[in-house]
Amino acid sequence: MMKFIKIILQISVLFLFNLIGETIQSFFHLTIPGSIIGMLLFFVLLVTKVIPEKLIKDGIDLLIKDMPLFFIPVTVGVIEFLDFFKGKGSFILFITFISTMVVILTTSFIADKLLQKEVGTK
Amino acid sequence: MINFFIGLGFLILTIVLYFFSKKIYSIIPSPVTLPIMITSFTLVMFLIWTDIPYSTYMLGGQWIDHLLGPLVVALALPLFRQRHLIKQYATVIFTGILIGSLVGILSGVFLTLLSGFDDSIIAAIASKSVTTPVALSISDTVGASMSLTAVFVMIAGIGGAMFGPVMWKIGGIKHPIARGLGIGTASHAIGTAKALEDSELAGAVSALSMTISSVIVSMIVPGLLPFLL
Repeated sequence: MMKFIKIILQISVLFLFNLIGETIQSFFHLTIPGSIIGMLLFFVLLVTKVIPEKLIKDGIDLLIKDMPLFFIPVTVGVIEFLDFFKGKGSFILFITFISTMVVILTTSFIADKLLQKEVGTK
Repeated sequence: MINFFIGLGFLILTIVLYFFSKKIYSIIPSPVTLPIMITSFTLVMFLIWTDIPYSTYMLGGQWIDHLLGPLVVALALPLFRQRHLIKQYATVIFTGILIGSLVGILSGVFLTLLSGFDDSIIAAIASKSVTTPVALSISDTVGASMSLTAVFVMIAGIGGAMFGPVMWKIGGIKHPIARGLGIGTASHAIGTAKALEDSELAGAVSALSMTISSVIVSMIVPGLLPFLL
């Protein structure tokens, strides 16, 4: 029972940081999502050890492990686009695939070249 | 009251199917047997077969909207655990991810623009390379369809996991850091699972790439889209 309360409290921390992020976003009229601001803030407080990792890790690890579960309802929404994908829409899946391949190739290639240079200068 | 029970019923069905799919995945692990794939596919088939509208199913799925933000915040923890790696290879990591993220956004947007798709679809494809909670948050911000976004993100993930190693071969990429950066920037968590099979270092770099790229993409996309569409 104590463990259960602890996990609930640890997950509540995430809600708190999301709320802070969203407040900052609307206050400064930023276009970047509030959740990202909350995440960066949380990251900074972890790095500066204001929040010790030990204090929050169990609940968050539990949530991350089964994160895909939370995206099932929105993914099932593809049902409303079945006609779109039967027609012209299928081409967009091909575009998504090609674009992904280009990203892997360029990112890995640039990183590889930079790493070789780094080794060369040392 | 009746809506509450319908919602609860679909919620339980979704959770049961998900944990059952995890069992299947542990027996046959492959990018196409991912629990999100099997569960979503089964539910879509079930809704078509029973002729139940998506809005009825979503009576139980609405809770996701409240969890999206906190799930994004949670990504800070795995990133924190990789902080030494980020410090050590800062230049390579940030240069690679920044260029990769831009290539991903621009190639996706321009190819769909040239093919004559609607703005709402182009907005959904812009954030396809980042992890689902962030992609959905971006789509929410720019007013794109969340369901289409989820599908594009899934294809970017599965495509990268299946053919990423082929790209490494074509590009002659051997360094585990370079491999991890490419697949993490393009194919988020699904790609990271593949990178982990390659080596522990590639997996770790892929994991940090997926989080850093999601921050970069969420900074670029909402600002850039109004100029492109």
